[in-house]
Amino acid sequence: MIKAKDLGKTVTTSEGQLTILKGIDLEIKESESVAIVGASGSGKTTLLSLLAGLDTPTTGQIFLGDYEITALDEEERAKVRSELVGFVFQSFQLLASLSAIENVMLPSELRGDSGAGDKAQELLERVGLGHRINHYPRQLSGGEQQRVAIARAFASSVDLLFADEPTGNLDTATGQHVIDLTFELNREFGTTLVLVTHDQRLAERCDRAIHLASGEITIPGMPPEVVSGTVV
Amino acid sequence: MNIVGLALKLLWRDWRAGELTLLLASLVIAVGTVTTVTLFVDRLQQALVAESATFLAADRVIRSGDPIDPEIIEYAESLGLQTSETLGFMSMVFSEDRARFSSVKAVDGDYPLRGRLIAGDEPFMRGYPVAAGPPPGELWLESRLFPSLDVLPGELIDVGVASFPATRVLIKEPDRGGGISNAGPRVLMNLADVPATEVVQPGSRLSYRYLFAGDWETLEVFSTWAAPKLGPEARMFGVKEGAEGIGEALDRGEKFLLLGSLLGVVLAGVAIALAAQRYSLRHYDHVAIMKTLGATPRRIDAVFIAIFVILGIVSALAGALIGLGMQAGVAAILSPYIPIELPPPTMRPVLLGLVTGFICLLSFALPPLLKLRAIEPLRVIRRDLGDPGISGSLTYGFALAGTLGLMWWYSQDLLLTLMIFSGAVVSLVLLSGVAFLMLRSGRAVGMQAGSAWRLALAGMQRRGRENTLQILVFGLAIMLLLILYLVRTALITEWQAQIPEDAPNHFAINVAPEDVAPIRSLFDDHGVESQPLYPMIRGRIITVNGESASERDRRIGERGEDAPGSSSGRNLTWSKVLPDDNQVVAGEWWPENYSGPPLVSLEKDLAYRNRLKVGDELVFSIQGIEIATRVANIRSVAWDNMQPNFYMIFAPGSLEEFPSTFMTSFYLPKDRKRFLNKLLRDFPTMTVIEIDALIEQVQRIIGQVTLAIELVLVLIMASGALVLLASVQASMDERMKQHAILRTLGAGRKLVLGSLLIEFCTLGLFAGLLATIGSEVTVFILETQLFELEYAVNPQLWVLGPVVGIVLIGAVGILATRRIVETPPAKVLGELA
Repeated sequence: MIKAKDLGKTVTTSEGQLTILKGIDLEIKESESVAIVGASGSGKTTLLSLLAGLDTPTTGQIFLGDYEITALDEEERAKVRSELVGFVFQSFQLLASLSAIENVMLPSELRGDSGAGDKAQELLERVGLGHRINHYPRQLSGGEQQRVAIARAFASSVDLLFADEPTGNLDTATGQHVIDLTFELNREFGTTLVLVTHDQRLAERCDRAIHLASGEITIPGMPPEVVSGTVV
Repeated sequence: MNIVGLALKLLWRDWRAGELTLLLASLVIAVGTVTTVTLFVDRLQQALVAESATFLAADRVIRSGDPIDPEIIEYAESLGLQTSETLGFMSMVFSEDRARFSSVKAVDGDYPLRGRLIAGDEPFMRGYPVAAGPPPGELWLESRLFPSLDVLPGELIDVGVASFPATRVLIKEPDRGGGISNAGPRVLMNLADVPATEVVQPGSRLSYRYLFAGDWETLEVFSTWAAPKLGPEARMFGVKEGAEGIGEALDRGEKFLLLGSLLGVVLAGVAIALAAQRYSLRHYDHVAIMKTLGATPRRIDAVFIAIFVILGIVSALAGALIGLGMQAGVAAILSPYIPIELPPPTMRPVLLGLVTGFICLLSFALPPLLKLRAIEPLRVIRRDLGDPGISGSLTYGFALAGTLGLMWWYSQDLLLTLMIFSGAVVSLVLLSGVAFLMLRSGRAVGMQAGSAWRLALAGMQRRGRENTLQILVFGLAIMLLLILYLVRTALITEWQAQIPEDAPNHFAINVAPEDVAPIRSLFDDHGVESQPLYPMIRGRIITVNGESASERDRRIGERGEDAPGSSSGRNLTWSKVLPDDNQVVAGEWWPENYSGPPLVSLEKDLAYRNRLKVGDELVFSIQGIEIATRVANIRSVAWDNMQPNFYMIFAPGSLEEFPSTFMTSFYLPKDRKRFLNKLLRDFPTMTVIEIDALIEQVQRIIGQVTLAIELVLVLIMASGALVLLASVQASMDERMKQHAILRTLGAGRKLVLGSLLIEFCTLGLFAGLLATIGSEVTVFILETQLFELEYAVNPQLWVLGPVVGIVLIGAVGILATRRIVETPPAKVLGELA
């Protein structure tokens, strides 16, 4: 489902070139759930952005399904995202001016699908928010907002779900509930799940984990200074 | 779902969330202001032109020494124009004992087409309006003819070989004018009676006037058609050329209103740009999320362009409606103060408003919206990505092109547009540098000050670029208001000075030399203020530097219409001193005790058109005697000042030996007009020309133009205030966030409010200073180049500008940001997260 070859990302800062990711090779199979774990600054969010086609790598290739997204421009990448990819973010990223149901309807509306409303209603009920569909994000708690975001992610019947620290802004109990929901829906929809987290317990619920340190895939337990020649 | 549906949905959701309020308000008010101003100006202008047309008794006049081709009149009538015909000639009129050389005017039953004829039953008393002139078989005489012919109303008067009763007193005719050429006392008769008098003979000096009235377009069609058909003797003219004294006032008034509209458009544009910028900023996240959800850049473009078009249509229509309503309201409120009836509004200003709305939207709002397409989806993860890189030159290019285009369209005057535009661009560039330096110095001073000060000034400098921009916008708004205010004041002052309350309103001519002293003492005895008595001698130039003047006139030939030829007969005078309101523009005025060879001073237009210059040798023929003179100087004459003015003035010692009559002007208030009865009975040979009615009319029109100017100023001020509000609003989020953080850290209400107040007042001070500098420079250029006024530095401005800046921006800023201290910080941060 996802394949990355020799992925690298370098950015230019006022202090010179900064390498964020280097020599990443990975493959994620259909319906697999994979956690990307690592310390802060290890490059996991950057890796997720690259895999999801939100950002472009400096080197290497990425394949999403049948597409080589590294060969596409933003217009085409957007189409691929629309077709294949759903997101859940740490900061929820709901549109404040839209009610819960409108937020869930948005992906279908953008694609021009019909019946967006019914499907959104159904999904909101599925995440336990059937009674709050007309509430605005500011009227919802963090956990509720994240459930709306999960409903939105599944609203477009995508094959791939990317989640960036989905529980990062939530307390343990709420986080647990959100995670349960994500995995439940993931199984139900047969989605491939890629999850960025530094929550060890969350990582353990995935089929496998990819460990990042200083921008490179590493083996857990190995001290970062052993990793060759990379600066983060 | 189609793009429009999606756009409508997004717009509705934005509206519901209050995201659209400011943008929509700016657009509506921009269109509304422009529509209101242009509608009102359009109506006032129509009214003013109509009012001014009363000076001609028509909208267009053809004046000719011979009858014109009847086909011309037939054509005018076929177009639906009203027509009328008058015939003027000089003739002796006789009572039983006396005779007076009079200026007779014969009119048909349709005269006047514009303005009103006022007649009365007793000389020098108030009259009443009448619908038409005298019916056949009757004469109306001007007041002064009754005493000088020693008759009473109703008595018989002879004109040529016919006798008619003088049934009424002619108090005022609209197209009388103030020229000395029209000097003879007026006798008004019916055109049908002219043949009976037998005064019109081959070779008589006649002045035919054909009057036309109707709507502007038809008149234009007619004028274009008729102009080439007129003989060399005939001349066609309209209100501006025809109405002496007010033509210039009207012209300047129009320019001012135009300038006002232009500045209104610029202000509105700035407001829209600011609101659109804020709208766009607040949609960065929307777009980023939409993009992660699969919206392509092209789709984002399509959606936002659709949003933009819908916004444009809604706001332009709403603005135009508001404009229509506003100007109707303004007109209704002001109707008691506007002495003329306003014609109904035309659709052109509404269209102008609608198009303005769209162009403003296109040039000021589209660039910030287009930025949205460049938002990176990665922004959902990395909030620090900031502004997408759309080129600044594109944004500014759009705005500049839009402004330039609108200004040109409004003014139809490329030079004026370029002048104002380039001035504004240069000042903006210079001022932004100054603003930035001011901010830096503000920081240096601020570092030593108390806590609220330090907070405010540090905050200001941290947002250096935004604040420079904001100072510029504030400065620009205040500058435009100051410019309008200054130009208005200069114009009105000049107009009021032009015709002061006690300006001479009567001319006395044909005063015999032996009457000079008695008349002066009669004036003194009755407390009548008068100008000096100037000798007046008819004469003409016969040679210029040895060349025959009439041949030279033919050779130069191309003089403009009505240009005074050098060889025409003129009234000459001599004077030791330069008359009031005259200014020497070339050469030098002679000393008071001059006693050398004859010198002459020429009026500058006459000199210019006849290519005469200082040092030219002129030979005059005066009463059959040739007198050789040299041009000593050229002078400008204030023809509007209602005082005796001369094209040619001789130095002392040149004309004294010629027998002459004298002339003067004097002021007589309305309630003392009976003095004229005594004056004319005592000195029957003199002629008095009453121009008080004319002056009143000029003053009234100037009053109306002034009123229009004041109104436009108020309207523009309203849109200026909007710009300030939009500008403060645009920076709200940033300020809200900063102060919410401060409040969570424990900063008290007083500290936060204090630092906000200091910040806004400092911005206001800087903006006020900038505005002062900018407006001084601009007003200098405008007054000297456009309005041809004298420029003087405005010391009051240097206080007014900064004070206005501080008070206005301080007040608007605090009002707009009051919410910061009244909203719980968590809520503010939550909303802005």
